[in-house]
Amino acid sequence: MANHSEAAFEKQPMWAGGRSPFNVSYGKLMMWIFLLSDAFTFSSLLVQYGAQRFSNVQTAVTTKWPDPASIFNHFPFLHGLHLPLLFVSVMTFILILSSVTMVLAVEAGHRNSKKEVQRYMFYTILGGIAFLSCQAWEWATFIHEGARLDGNTFGITKAGYDHLHSVGFGSHFEWNVAVDRTNGPVPFAALFFIVTGFHGFHVFSGVVINVVVYIMTVRGVFERRGHYEMIEKAGLYWHFVDLVWVFVFTFFYLI
Amino acid sequence: MEFYSKPGEYDAINYIPHTESHGTKELWRTFWILLGITIFDFIIYFVMGPSGFRNVIFITFGLVKAYYIVGAFMHMKNEKINLALMIIVPTLFIMGLIWVMLWEGNAITESHTHHTVEAHTEVHK
Repeated sequence: MANHSEAAFEKQPMWAGGRSPFNVSYGKLMMWIFLLSDAFTFSSLLVQYGAQRFSNVQTAVTTKWPDPASIFNHFPFLHGLHLPLLFVSVMTFILILSSVTMVLAVEAGHRNSKKEVQRYMFYTILGGIAFLSCQAWEWATFIHEGARLDGNTFGITKAGYDHLHSVGFGSHFEWNVAVDRTNGPVPFAALFFIVTGFHGFHVFSGVVINVVVYIMTVRGVFERRGHYEMIEKAGLYWHFVDLVWVFVFTFFYLI
Repeated sequence: MEFYSKPGEYDAINYIPHTESHGTKELWRTFWILLGITIFDFIIYFVMGPSGFRNVIFITFGLVKAYYIVGAFMHMKNEKINLALMIIVPTLFIMGLIWVMLWEGNAITESHTHHTVEAHTEVHK
């Protein structure tokens, strides 16, 4: 039966109408197209970031582009310790984990198992909220240290780098602001806020979508409909958010 | 499944292809791969000093992670090649644009470094 219909599908002319050339539902196809356009938006920001960073020259009033490890080196509850990259790795781990629970919800939806979809969607929402909380903490710390949209006090002098490199991973570190720091390139802080903010807004809307889909699952909407396609569409969006974070993590923190 | 052979009955808006579960084994394997690469990123960051080669490693790892997220989590591997190409080909052009703009930015830096007057460069040292 299955083979027969598959064969019938293959025999139809691809673009002559009367069938889906992509063999996906209308909603899923539109979600893919939306994600592609969203990828364009994010890449325009990444293009801007890359061009700014590479064309960044030292001027009389600002230093060169600062090393991200010298700035994002904080960890909640471990105040004053030099822990570069650790917190953002934890955030990445949270997002990957919530991606897995999302795809498990999709898989449970394929088996029409309402209970499992419900459980995994709940975990996914928790992961999203945890990620947003981490980001809020990171922003608060960064702003508290003097970063603004229209300015950047993270111009790190040579003395500052020497000071930073003299402490090991996990040891106590405090800026000697007068000597170590001066004005940095303005786009550094601005681009950080815009790009992570734009991504954070996507995570936020993803959480809202997941909550809506979760409530629909609980109320049995998909069970009556006979399929859990909506979970797949929400899942596509959620994975896209994870995908964008992979590149934000690479370009803003690692490089 | 009859409507494939009866074009008049095909309803583009309400058409839902039949899907089935492929099991959770591959999903968990993908999770461990992604986690492993992220830990590897973390290790390389501290073991190697900053260099162009290290950046190439990081970007390669990013693309590998993207491959696994799109392929396994978003089920792109199970989609028709038409759909996959429609999504992937434009993103390749995006990567080209990013590369070109990095080149451009670098050229600006070079021109500032080599073509400024003596007194000007004095200040910046």
